[in-house]
Amino acid sequence: MTTVDTRIDQEPAPPPAKKVKAHASERLRHERRLGLSLSAPAFLVMIFVTAYPLIYAVVLSLYKYRLTDPEGKEFVGLANYVTVLTDPIWWNDFVTTTVITVASVVVELVLGFCFAWVMYRIIRGRSVIRTAILVPYGIITVVSAFVWRYAFQLDSGFVNQWFGMEDYNWFGGRWSSLFVIIMSEIWKTTPFISLLLLAGLVQVPGELQEAASVDGATAWQRLWKVTLPNMKAAIMVALLFRTLDAWRIFDNPFVMTNGANNTETLSFLAYRQNVTLVNLGAGSAVSVLLFFTVVIIAFIFIKGFRTDLSQVRGD
Amino acid sequence: MDGRKTSNWWTAAGIAILLWALFPLLWMLSLAFKDPNTFRSGTPQFLPKEWTWENFRTVFDNSLFTSALRNSFGISIIATLLSVVIAMFAAYAIARLEFPGKKVLLSMALAIAMFPQAALVGPLFDMWRSLGIYDTWIGLIIPYLTFALPLSIWTMSAFFRQIPWEMEQAAQVDGATPWQAFRKVIVPLAAPGVFTTAILTFFFCWNEFLLAASLTSTDAARTVPAALSFFTGASQFQSPVTAIMAASVVVTIPVVILVLVFQRRIVAGLTSGAVKG
Amino acid sequence: MRRHLVRARHHQGARRRVGIIAAVAVAAPLVLAGCSSDSGGIPTLTWYINPDNGGQATLAARCAAESDGAFKITTQVLPNDADAQREQLVRRLAADDPSIDLMSLDPPFVAEFANAGYLLPITDPADVAELTDGTLEAPLKTAYWEDQLVAPPFWANTQLLWYRKSVAEAAGVDPTAADFTWADMIEAAESQGKRIGVQARRYEGYMVWINALISSGGGQIIENADQGADATPTVASEAGDEAAEIIGTLARSSAAPADMSTAGEEEARSLFQGDNGSFMVNWPYVYSAAQGDAPDMVEDIGWARYPEVVAGTASMPPLGGINLAIGNFTKHPDQALAAAKCITSLESSIQYMLESGNPAAKDAAYDDPQVREQFPMADLIRDSIDSAGPRPITPYYGDVSQSVQRTWHPPASVEQPATPVETDDYMSKVLSGDRLL
Repeated sequence: MTTVDTRIDQEPAPPPAKKVKAHASERLRHERRLGLSLSAPAFLVMIFVTAYPLIYAVVLSLYKYRLTDPEGKEFVGLANYVTVLTDPIWWNDFVTTTVITVASVVVELVLGFCFAWVMYRIIRGRSVIRTAILVPYGIITVVSAFVWRYAFQLDSGFVNQWFGMEDYNWFGGRWSSLFVIIMSEIWKTTPFISLLLLAGLVQVPGELQEAASVDGATAWQRLWKVTLPNMKAAIMVALLFRTLDAWRIFDNPFVMTNGANNTETLSFLAYRQNVTLVNLGAGSAVSVLLFFTVVIIAFIFIKGFRTDLSQVRGD
Repeated sequence: MDGRKTSNWWTAAGIAILLWALFPLLWMLSLAFKDPNTFRSGTPQFLPKEWTWENFRTVFDNSLFTSALRNSFGISIIATLLSVVIAMFAAYAIARLEFPGKKVLLSMALAIAMFPQAALVGPLFDMWRSLGIYDTWIGLIIPYLTFALPLSIWTMSAFFRQIPWEMEQAAQVDGATPWQAFRKVIVPLAAPGVFTTAILTFFFCWNEFLLAASLTSTDAARTVPAALSFFTGASQFQSPVTAIMAASVVVTIPVVILVLVFQRRIVAGLTSGAVKG
Repeated sequence: MRRHLVRARHHQGARRRVGIIAAVAVAAPLVLAGCSSDSGGIPTLTWYINPDNGGQATLAARCAAESDGAFKITTQVLPNDADAQREQLVRRLAADDPSIDLMSLDPPFVAEFANAGYLLPITDPADVAELTDGTLEAPLKTAYWEDQLVAPPFWANTQLLWYRKSVAEAAGVDPTAADFTWADMIEAAESQGKRIGVQARRYEGYMVWINALISSGGGQIIENADQGADATPTVASEAGDEAAEIIGTLARSSAAPADMSTAGEEEARSLFQGDNGSFMVNWPYVYSAAQGDAPDMVEDIGWARYPEVVAGTASMPPLGGINLAIGNFTKHPDQALAAAKCITSLESSIQYMLESGNPAAKDAAYDDPQVREQFPMADLIRDSIDSAGPRPITPYYGDVSQSVQRTWHPPASVEQPATPVETDDYMSKVLSGDRLL
């Protein structure tokens, strides 16, 4: 991993900041004002829809507050957080979410890389394949969940017939249910990851491959020593986004199991507390904690794995 | 190595991918054409014994579905337009201008792309109730356009950076007014990026389920993903598997059309937004 | 003098104001109605209905037509699942939504809604009498909260024991015998290598089953239900243990359906109609549904009262159905009341039963010749409803029910005495806010 030139890491230096010259300062001020006013709507909308409700959630989370019992609202401090964090349900859902995230992201990464490789090398029908894999990408997740659920369901599905599983009840146990949920997740999102990886793959300079080939490296060595290190930035970005996306999984378990058999995820828990039980106090505590888990994951990626977000941020 | 032989291998792998991507769609189609009364009986087969259009008639006779379809189209299209317009301004500023809040804006967009929407359903629900926009189009359009903004801003600023803006000045030197220069030179160059962004944003809004399920309660604003779980058979206990699949086929058609027509643009948009390519 | 003048002017002003208010009062309903409907003048009531095959919409149209222009009714469909129906209604009612004039409400949620002030109590004795006369005993109990009528029964439901005559005969049992128990049924199905249809997915239908078993065994799920969050869970009792024994034994026996832990009404029915079918507890809709999709085997279907838990102690079958409540924030309380009277009338009950297959809550409906023809088991349904055991009536019903569902799922893990003890412990923590649901 160290032997090969990692060109991606050495991005061309950003253009030098414009020197502030006296005669240009008026223009600069104008540019600043224009820049701010053009981005103001985006700022305001984002703050209104996320920052404000998040603060509101923090406030609500300090109360015992159930919508169907408005008189019972009382300030309880951090008690809701204690309740949530000491409850096996939170930790069960945490484990479920982790399992789904890790399993689907790992499989998607490997599968997505294979797909990217095939699309990179294939001569005939590249655009047909790209079109085909965009369909799972574009399909509604709820639809995908129904399709997979009915395929595995005992009374309507073909899976048990085809694979001689007789009357094995896929949705009767935790791990088999999670298997189907992860299948649907993988089917739906591998295309996205494979397109990101394809974009990274085409950036790997051909000369490097050839040079390594001349040096007698096998195809496998070339993959590990040349291709993958050069794609590191693309892989890390794809990983970060897919991990956080998978971490927020809601649609698939909702449609397939409705959370039975320990298949409830953290997003589902937040939904259930807030929307189903209208238990806005404890529900907001779950929301805030869920937000923190996301922050922690992002932090691990950005600091721990040194994911280069300038790639994404575009600065 | 025999070039043709390896090429055949790649083609075979390509066909495998094709099957993998399209097989679940075949299953969806097959279920949608099965007879709603007998699809359960006996051992379920992959293909229908008899093909029937009955399920499609059922869903289109169902006001639950037709109103959801109307809501889905309306909300997705309006949210897409608004999001693209707002993001276009921001993306232009990011690509072309130096201003103090730039980094903050980009970081904020990044944060929102990672934001767990489920953390917002509680407070948004409560806010929307007091603002009186719960269960309305606008109540879904606002969060949709917000969550679509990061993607739109990145995608468009990536496209905008590639535009040779000098041409605008060149046109003005050649005697065009600023407006003409903008309209004749920049708009045609920027249009593909804006358009691509719009498609991706539309996909996002079309797909969204969590907020649609939390912030609606009647057919005034309920979109298709939320409505699918409301379907019911002849009695309240019967779950209309085949009708749900027929509805699924219907809502997948726009996706397939967009993908078929704009495949190249979608791929460009997806990859440019996340990784500079 | 001056004062007098002022007073006179004031008086005049007041009179004019009264006039204006009166004019507004007269005009307001027109204006409001104009906003909410196309046909200005007639108030349009919105009735939130649980999904059915159109029966409620037909009733709505008929009652509106019979009102001679007093009101119109539009229907809004709620989700399929009882929990989701509650969720949708709570969300709107918590926002003081005036658009809910009438709602079809699952009986267990009546207490919660009434306690939160979402339902308009019906106080005039004449109205109460008109809405409740002739209603069967068990459903009527679910209509009250704090001794006020808040949600008169619209229709009622109950589960029967359905059996395949051929299987019962081969096993040598008579399910219609007075002392036919769950244990007898499991044994009979096992002896024939067949399976028993039940509802044991983690949803309200599973609670229906558990509640029926516990009440049939002489117990109840909570005591002092009227004390809300301070109620005492009493699942850990002899009756709770009996119920856990039956569910656990069935789930671990060869008579358990393969999809037992994910089965609802339809999965049970599909099993019952298939090759492995033998016995099933389910609502009466299964009979007409079978005529639709398995006409060949209808001849083989028999029915009996819900099986007993303890031999010799009459079972208390599950109680379902729908109550009709008036939203507390309605702008048209009088019209809504009139509509409710029409919708819950004997005539409507019969019409709805014939059209939708959902049993009436009124005693006399079962004497109607058409009903008797369409429902050969009409008398059994009536008796079953009349002696059914309602689910706990408490404003915290959601917490109670979900505590039970969570601890009793999957059914194969149910053990006595461990499961009932766990339920009580969990439920009291949930009620006091120490545990999440």
